[in-house]
Amino acid sequence: MTFSVLVQSIISGLLVGGVYALIGVGLTIIFGVMRVINFAHGDIMMVGMYMTYFLFTLFGVDPFMSVLITMPLMFVFGAIMQKVFINRILGTLPQNQILLTIGLGLIMSNAAMLAFTSDYKILTTSYSSSSFNVAGISISQPLLTSFLITCVITAGLYWFLMKTDTGQAIRATAQDREAAQLMGINVKWMSILSFGIGSAMAGTAGALISPTYYIFPQVGSAFTLKAFVITVLGGMGSIVGATLGGIIIGLVESVAAVTISSDWKDVVVFSIFLLVLLIKPSGLMGKSRM
Amino acid sequence: MAILEIKHVSKFFGGLAANSDVSFEMSEGMIMGLIGPNGAGKTTLFNCITGYYPPSKGEVIFDGKKMNGLQPDTVCKLGMARTWQKVRPLAKMTLLDNVMVGALCRTNSLRIAREMAIEQIKVVRMEHKINFLAGGLPIGERKKLEVARVLATQPKLLLLDEVMGGLNPAESDELIQLILDIKSQGKITQMVIEHDMKAIMRISDRVVVLNSGEKLAEGSPQEIVNNPEVITAYLGSEH
Amino acid sequence: MKPFNPLFSQRGASAVQVTVGIVVIAALFAFPQFVKSPYVLHMMILFFLSTLMGQSWNIIGGYTGQYSVGHAAYFGTGAYTTLILLSTKEIAPWYGMWLGIAASIILALIIGSICFRLRGPYFVLASIAVAEIVRLTALNLTSITKGAEGILVIDIPAFKIGETVITDFSSKVPYYYIALVLALVIIGVTWLVQHSKLGYYFQAIREDQDAAHSLGINLTIWKNSALVISAAFTSLAGSFYAIFVKFIDPSTVLPLDLSVQIVLISIIGGIGTIFGPVVGSLVLVPLSEALRSNVIAEGLINSGLVSETSGIGIFLKEHLAHAHVLIYGILVVVVILFMPEGVLGYFRKMTAKRKGGKA
Repeated sequence: MTFSVLVQSIISGLLVGGVYALIGVGLTIIFGVMRVINFAHGDIMMVGMYMTYFLFTLFGVDPFMSVLITMPLMFVFGAIMQKVFINRILGTLPQNQILLTIGLGLIMSNAAMLAFTSDYKILTTSYSSSSFNVAGISISQPLLTSFLITCVITAGLYWFLMKTDTGQAIRATAQDREAAQLMGINVKWMSILSFGIGSAMAGTAGALISPTYYIFPQVGSAFTLKAFVITVLGGMGSIVGATLGGIIIGLVESVAAVTISSDWKDVVVFSIFLLVLLIKPSGLMGKSRM
Repeated sequence: MAILEIKHVSKFFGGLAANSDVSFEMSEGMIMGLIGPNGAGKTTLFNCITGYYPPSKGEVIFDGKKMNGLQPDTVCKLGMARTWQKVRPLAKMTLLDNVMVGALCRTNSLRIAREMAIEQIKVVRMEHKINFLAGGLPIGERKKLEVARVLATQPKLLLLDEVMGGLNPAESDELIQLILDIKSQGKITQMVIEHDMKAIMRISDRVVVLNSGEKLAEGSPQEIVNNPEVITAYLGSEH
Repeated sequence: MKPFNPLFSQRGASAVQVTVGIVVIAALFAFPQFVKSPYVLHMMILFFLSTLMGQSWNIIGGYTGQYSVGHAAYFGTGAYTTLILLSTKEIAPWYGMWLGIAASIILALIIGSICFRLRGPYFVLASIAVAEIVRLTALNLTSITKGAEGILVIDIPAFKIGETVITDFSSKVPYYYIALVLALVIIGVTWLVQHSKLGYYFQAIREDQDAAHSLGINLTIWKNSALVISAAFTSLAGSFYAIFVKFIDPSTVLPLDLSVQIVLISIIGGIGTIFGPVVGSLVLVPLSEALRSNVIAEGLINSGLVSETSGIGIFLKEHLAHAHVLIYGILVVVVILFMPEGVLGYFRKMTAKRKGGKA
């Protein structure tokens, strides 16, 4: 293996890691505010992928532009899901919360299968396979574009959480639900909001990878697992951690694929996950341990 | 001979000392009261003694054996049993089953465990609730359930963490009587964390006062009541 | 509060219950003498298999409260060990299955030593991760497992004692009896667990790990014991499945979906009860079979509710067969939201209410 192959894999890992970060951030916001681990997260992403696919094939909307439509729609989707289902099981046994979100995930993926069949769909744009060279390293154009969009969205989310009143209320709720309630924060509304934001992030991630990934109903479960790895690695509930975790997992996958083999890269990822759970369950940036 | 020796025990969480350099001894058959304002490190000390945390420094010696680093289950088998400040009933099991779980620490036979459990349930006078689910019992009865459950493990040393917390005066009286009954049997030594000063003065042979993780004073109840430092600590932090 | 229903009590069963039990078991043994339909026998076999899987999980998940969502790992280990030994070394399944159990127990102890240091959701995540590692390993170790291609066997060697051929597995009947015995054994094992120190300790761990620890319960030993029992029987279920279906691949015996389905059998029936997994299987097996075999679509068309030639009719006929997992999903959501104690717990509560008592 040459040096340039390694650099190549590091760069593509970094670019993919940006999208992973987005998925992880969504999961971690939901966990932070509600202490619910969303097992349907990858399936929400899958909904975002199909949405992008149909916007493109039916209306010719560019996948990257479609983020502007996908994001608000997925926000509403997540908010409704929270209000109708998740809200009812807050504060019950964690096992029940897990099973409920697993059930919701099964409904989404299998409803998608009924509606769109289990065929793999490919969203081919003019730039899907285009790339450009920088000093002998080829950089995929769609990956770079999605990475840049990810950066903008993540930065926007930080700004929202840090600088706006609503953002601060969400952070307060995540820190201490009861205290936030005593301070007059409408925690129910914050829960709906954060599930909406989490879904919007997952859906957007789906939109961003759709030009470079197969689209099929079961695509979600792999990403759900990946999202867990990312958030646990970064520390459940930590947004900075999830961003970092996403990039690390992107890098690990990509480097493992060229140094070991692409068949075993997920094994490497899951092994790292177990190691983190064992050695530092609070993750890189996490403080609290459940 | 001392049944329990606490030697210079300290426990740090990060940089914070929850206990620092606490030492005292307990002789067999006595009741030791452990008091102190909120956050004084009483429960932390219990956790260090019973194996939930290893002490950062110092030694816990029970019945001549060093306890540092032993797990709670081993500690229990060696004869030291504790109750919880926040009651921990096994909610979906009956009162009898709860107490049997304690008794099974000493036997593998369900029949013997059942007999042992019924005996202890009689001690706390709850025979009429024997088949009730633990989760549905009112707080006073859940506290008594915990006492019966730890008694069933046949301890030599019993550590009761605020066993009267949240009880009405009649229930408290009943528990005080229970603690004194256990003492009069002469087999079990007891350490009692309590907020109710009147109760602690009534039952304790000796009292240790913790404040900000350190031992502030030790002595007979009478000495403690008249100790100016103790009075300041209490007036300063709670009133 | 009323004293609990004796049917679910921890103590001995009444004479009526024993009689009913014996009659049911006798009827199940006599069943193939009267019903020859391979389809019905097939359904019964699936029901027994489901009971075996659900009850195995119930021991670790229902009684001990450790929600493993990675039981496919043990199922797959049993299935793969049995079929690999049969297809490459011609070792008969009734020897192979013991090796499968041994392999699963070793796997369980490895998984236990990693996962049992974690609690709650972290435990669930770790159990999934380990099962995924097992699946990916089976997928990629093509030299041993044939990877995604899977392993197919044509013939199951005849089962002989000495020179006497007991059965050559040419019909469904021998499978029926094996599955029935396995289901009865796991129910018996669960009963024994519940009526021994194990059951008390498992349930104490489920209710409150810290309290259990303080009462002299060594959490590592007892949680691993529960997992080993559970894994051994799940592995047996996998071995049985492998020789019954004669084909396995990572996507049928090792996927996350299978782990979820194993959990559901107990959840839907009612966890931590002997009859929960039986009830869960009674609900799930006919339901998924009805969907798979398109009975529902045909029923809707035959009843005249939906025209066969209409768009909906064609759609239903073509796709409803794939919808059984969708129904699983809907069932889970309904059960968690409206019957968190399972079908059994729900009906118990309903009867208690009707009697005017408080459950």
